[in-house]
Amino acid sequence: MIKSLLVANRGEIAVRIMKTASAMGIETWAIKTSREPNAWYLSHADKIIDISEEFEDIPIFLDVEKLIEITLKNKINAIHPGYGFLAESPFFAERCEQNRIIFIGPSPDAIYKMGNKTIAKQLARKHNVPLLQGSLGTVMNIKEAREVAGMIGYPVILKAAAGGGGRGMRIVEKEGEMEKMFRIAGSEAEKAFNDSSLFIEKYVRNPRHIEFQILGDKIGNIIHLGERECSIQRKHQKLIEESPSPALDEKLRKKMGEAAVNIARSVNYYSAGTVEFLLDDRNNFYFMEMNTRIQVEHPVTEMITGIDLVEWQIRIAMGEELPMSQEDITYKGWAFEFRVNAEDVQAGFSPSLGIIEKISYPKSKNIRIDTGVKQGSIITPYYDSMIAKLIVHGENREKAILYSSNALKKFWIKGLKTTIPFCMAVLANKNFRNGKFDTSFLTTEMKLNIREDPEEEMLAAFFAAYDYARDLKLEEEKCVNFEKGKAITPWLLNKRLKSI
Amino acid sequence: MAEIKSTSAKEKFIACGTGNKKFEISQPLSERPKVKGKKLDLCIVEEPDGFSYIVWKRKKYQVDILEKNQNKYTIMINGVWYSFTIETPISYKRRKYLEKAAPSSKIERVNAPMPGKILDIMVEENTEIREGDPVVILEAMKMQNEIISHVNGRVKKINIKTNDSVMKDDVILEIERV
Repeated sequence: MIKSLLVANRGEIAVRIMKTASAMGIETWAIKTSREPNAWYLSHADKIIDISEEFEDIPIFLDVEKLIEITLKNKINAIHPGYGFLAESPFFAERCEQNRIIFIGPSPDAIYKMGNKTIAKQLARKHNVPLLQGSLGTVMNIKEAREVAGMIGYPVILKAAAGGGGRGMRIVEKEGEMEKMFRIAGSEAEKAFNDSSLFIEKYVRNPRHIEFQILGDKIGNIIHLGERECSIQRKHQKLIEESPSPALDEKLRKKMGEAAVNIARSVNYYSAGTVEFLLDDRNNFYFMEMNTRIQVEHPVTEMITGIDLVEWQIRIAMGEELPMSQEDITYKGWAFEFRVNAEDVQAGFSPSLGIIEKISYPKSKNIRIDTGVKQGSIITPYYDSMIAKLIVHGENREKAILYSSNALKKFWIKGLKTTIPFCMAVLANKNFRNGKFDTSFLTTEMKLNIREDPEEEMLAAFFAAYDYARDLKLEEEKCVNFEKGKAITPWLLNKRLKSI
Repeated sequence: MAEIKSTSAKEKFIACGTGNKKFEISQPLSERPKVKGKKLDLCIVEEPDGFSYIVWKRKKYQVDILEKNQNKYTIMINGVWYSFTIETPISYKRRKYLEKAAPSSKIERVNAPMPGKILDIMVEENTEIREGDPVVILEAMKMQNEIISHVNGRVKKINIKTNDSVMKDDVILEIERV
């Protein structure tokens, strides 16, 4: 039984986990850090562990031994790692097991095997899941990289063996670029994952990114909860996700879903997980990787299946058996998720750090907001720039797009630049509306990243002139009355006095 | 488009936008502006400690002043920002004259598009570079970004060193057009 749960994470996912855990009657614990001692997620916890006065050698959410120590000291049953940080560390999962703390996630063995891209690929090959041609293991140096790339043919993609999230990933179009890209990808991987090893893969130009949600229990039942379409990305960072995908029909969904379940079965997977595929324009799909954690974009699946994934992560961790089989899973309507990040889309998505002076969300029963901030929160350079996730459900894709456009218009933030106008511009794009898009969408369809509206620009010009006129008026009021009611500025007065 | 037109030439402002866009706005300006004595379907609302918005044709537009320096403004409306310079008819004439008189500069500056750290400098001073050539690698938000030159030319001056931290819009290097 889980009676108490430490959320070893921050931001919106900490809030998200604590909401479900509280509803299940579990006591929730959060950690207060020096970097954000007033964070919003803390207000959702039953108990807070305050380390904000302590010196943090490494961020607490990455400090395995410290997390184990505070969990044991406070007699907490279980740890939920959320996403990022230690969510996919087999070592952390193992240290939990050794200390009889329930780790909310898969087994250390499954995390290790799927985290190592080379082993994951070998498993996929063994279970007849289609794969992209590539290096058999990691490539040691530029010379070997050139040989492998020459064999499978350019373009190729370099990926960090320990990677994910787009870091340590570079496309190499021709042999001449290999040296530079190998160096960049290697150093990026070294920084992000402390492991510079890379492997090479054939690069599919402009594929769709389709992933399947997996749920498995400790008895051996594994099902999938359909796909998520995550092709709207910038530099491999997802910006808008939806479920289902406009690219899949029932037949392809079944085929890909079975492949995803097979991958999960190869490591006796339990808990929630995600199998990522690339889908080319002829409906060939290729296994990319399995993420052994809850994903940022999990809400779209929850919206159309009605299944609370965090609840099932916790139930499975307690040893419960999945009561539903694959046939019981049905999909209702369509759901979108928009990542509202503090980024200036008109300046190449550069971070727009600062204070959220005011925030106002759209409200409706088909709208869900997952957020870790409130009015007055600061978007710091320490963590990602996410402000909130806007999740919208509709009876079908067309309706969901309409409801989403309206919701985005009512999502107001003061103090920061956000990705909201970008999301609006995507929804207005004809090819997006028709479901005809792939991972190249941003570079081919979104030259401006926003939609310029002449009427809005005119209103903005008017507002600027209005403010300018008001300032001038204030300036005039400051003037001293002099010379028979004629106004004179203090500056001029001063000058005249001097020249007397 | 621009329906807010001037009533008399003396009492107007000209908002100059990007790409030679010009908006003429008549005085006096108030929350409920009038054109030729007729009230427009436009209203500015500024909530104390809250949002500012314009109601235009019964639709709400969130507005905010992002930057303001004398007569230079950056205004955000519904999340999209636009830059303007507010001129009077006289200062507008002067501006036009100066634009014509100023010789076009041969020096092109490469600015940091975002705050970050310089990981690698791929050019040296006095080397020839072409449009699209990478000049530096900038690390921001744990991602490495290639900053490329947008002109053909010769590197005139490098203002940074490896491992330097830069702020957004800092001049990284200067290129002399050829």
